[in-house]
Amino acid sequence: MINCADFMAEIGNYLEGDVAEEVRLQLEHHLSHCQTCTVLVDSIRKTVRIVTDTGSFDLPEATFRPIAERIMSRIRDTQK
Amino acid sequence: MSYFGEVALGSSFQPFAAFQEQFGFVPKLFRAQTLLPRVIEAESALISAILFTDKVLARTQKECILLVLAAANQNAYCLCLHYQMLKLLGVAEQRLDQIVTDYRQADLSPATSALLTLVFKLGTKEAVPEASAHGLSDESILEAILITGLSRLLCTLSTGVGAIPDFAPRSIPSLQIPLADTDHSAEFFRSTPKLPDDFEPMLFMRKEFGLVPKVFSAQTLRPDILQAEADALRNLLPSEDALSRAQKRDILLAGADLETLRERGFTENQVLEAVVTTSFAGFFNVLQTGLGAGSYFAAKMPAKKAHLSTPEQRHSAVTTSVDPDAECVARVQGGDLNAFEELMNRHSQRVYRTLVGILGNPDEARDAMQDTFLKVFQHLAGFEGRSKFSTWLVSIASNTAIQRLRERKPMESLDESAPDEEGFRPRQVQAWTDDPEQLYSQAEMRSLIENGVMKLPVKYRVVLMLRDIEQLGIEEAASALGLGIPAIKARLLRGRLMLREALAPHFIPSGIKGSAKGVTN
Repeated sequence: MINCADFMAEIGNYLEGDVAEEVRLQLEHHLSHCQTCTVLVDSIRKTVRIVTDTGSFDLPEATFRPIAERIMSRIRDTQK
Repeated sequence: MSYFGEVALGSSFQPFAAFQEQFGFVPKLFRAQTLLPRVIEAESALISAILFTDKVLARTQKECILLVLAAANQNAYCLCLHYQMLKLLGVAEQRLDQIVTDYRQADLSPATSALLTLVFKLGTKEAVPEASAHGLSDESILEAILITGLSRLLCTLSTGVGAIPDFAPRSIPSLQIPLADTDHSAEFFRSTPKLPDDFEPMLFMRKEFGLVPKVFSAQTLRPDILQAEADALRNLLPSEDALSRAQKRDILLAGADLETLRERGFTENQVLEAVVTTSFAGFFNVLQTGLGAGSYFAAKMPAKKAHLSTPEQRHSAVTTSVDPDAECVARVQGGDLNAFEELMNRHSQRVYRTLVGILGNPDEARDAMQDTFLKVFQHLAGFEGRSKFSTWLVSIASNTAIQRLRERKPMESLDESAPDEEGFRPRQVQAWTDDPEQLYSQAEMRSLIENGVMKLPVKYRVVLMLRDIEQLGIEEAASALGLGIPAIKARLLRGRLMLREALAPHFIPSGIKGSAKGVTN
């Protein structure tokens, strides 16, 4: 029987789908009766989903273009 | 210059400043390891305490031991390094040649002669008693054993990284004095004063190994060395290394055949870490033999902590895959500058996010992009495709950013050895709304995420950025940042938990504020 601390020790691997089948079953058994750990798993998954999907920290093409041109011009100078 | 690419670490990188001061230059041996600054820090901790500290033996005596052992081990790199150091310390070349060929004919002081005899006989029953009979103090004997260990470390490292001598190579004379075979039954070293119970390095060893291995308790004459060894191990031990135990076993079986490791898909950082780990094992192995402190160090390392799943289950195997950039890289190497522009376009987001992740400032990140891509171009001729181009690129970006960070804020670093799992407990445990994306506009959502991510400490921020925003695999992120897989996983989880905590007030039904679409509409 695992407790919340055991669950927390494995939560990272669990979220990455990186636990053995037997361990996964134990963790899910814990989730079936622990509201706190269920909320944690659900909200971490949602966090990852919105972080991944919102396209944060995009470098707009218009910002990158002049940087790329400066770099290429420096490189072409060194090649002369 | 060596098997591994060099990344500039900046003049403020403390180990290099120490080498510059003590050797007058930074030996190529260390420049060859810049992919993993923390291993250089580990080596520097040990070298500073053993070689640069004037406590018992003179620097000339220590260099002399290193020179003679380099010759005995047929190591051209170390022979050149110590030959040059002794020349700088004022010893004439003719005399050095004589020492290298046969120190017994070199008219050395009785103490130095006795030290050299000791190191040649180290590990035999008579080595330490004979040295004592020649009047060497326990402190001198211990220091000579430490220098012998250091010689093993430096010789193994220089061979492993393929360092080319810093000075014109010298021929290695035919070996006049064979190294003694060890009989593994040497007496325990005699004087081992008791240190206070709360002496930090011993607490660290106990925590790490479950007990204080004899190799450490036999060195209590030198608390400063124990401190340095603990500092070095902190940079090397499993929580911070780039390899799983299964991979380390593979490496031990494959020996020092780096090409085989590369063919099996190990990354540059992993191969380098294997070389360094082997070198440190050599150091402790010499100490154990010399101090009569038992068997091979590596064999005594217990598993660090119990997990529900085994390390093999948790680490997926390293796999080699075809690099989608290989063709473009080859064109650049053939002189096609347009192909380089293509590579920049493909990877600009990834480089930018790595830089923002570490620097925490979009303006500075844009500025650092130029440095990064210029370095990439400069080193691309030497890139041999042993890791994926994109991994290599991210590692250059991260080193560029770390260097800037160090210049700006010396305290904040990525590779600090502080544990990652302590001290954070989730506080917000209310359920989130089912569909958080529906609550805010995309611009609002981006601003929430970006603010939240920027507030994370750098070591969590960069990992979260690479994994969750840039979608790098765990192993690729570990390799690019020069961190171990366990460290990456721990930091990723912590980053996600902290970000979740910051975002929670916006997504729990009772906390949704007026700006949310559902309320304003």
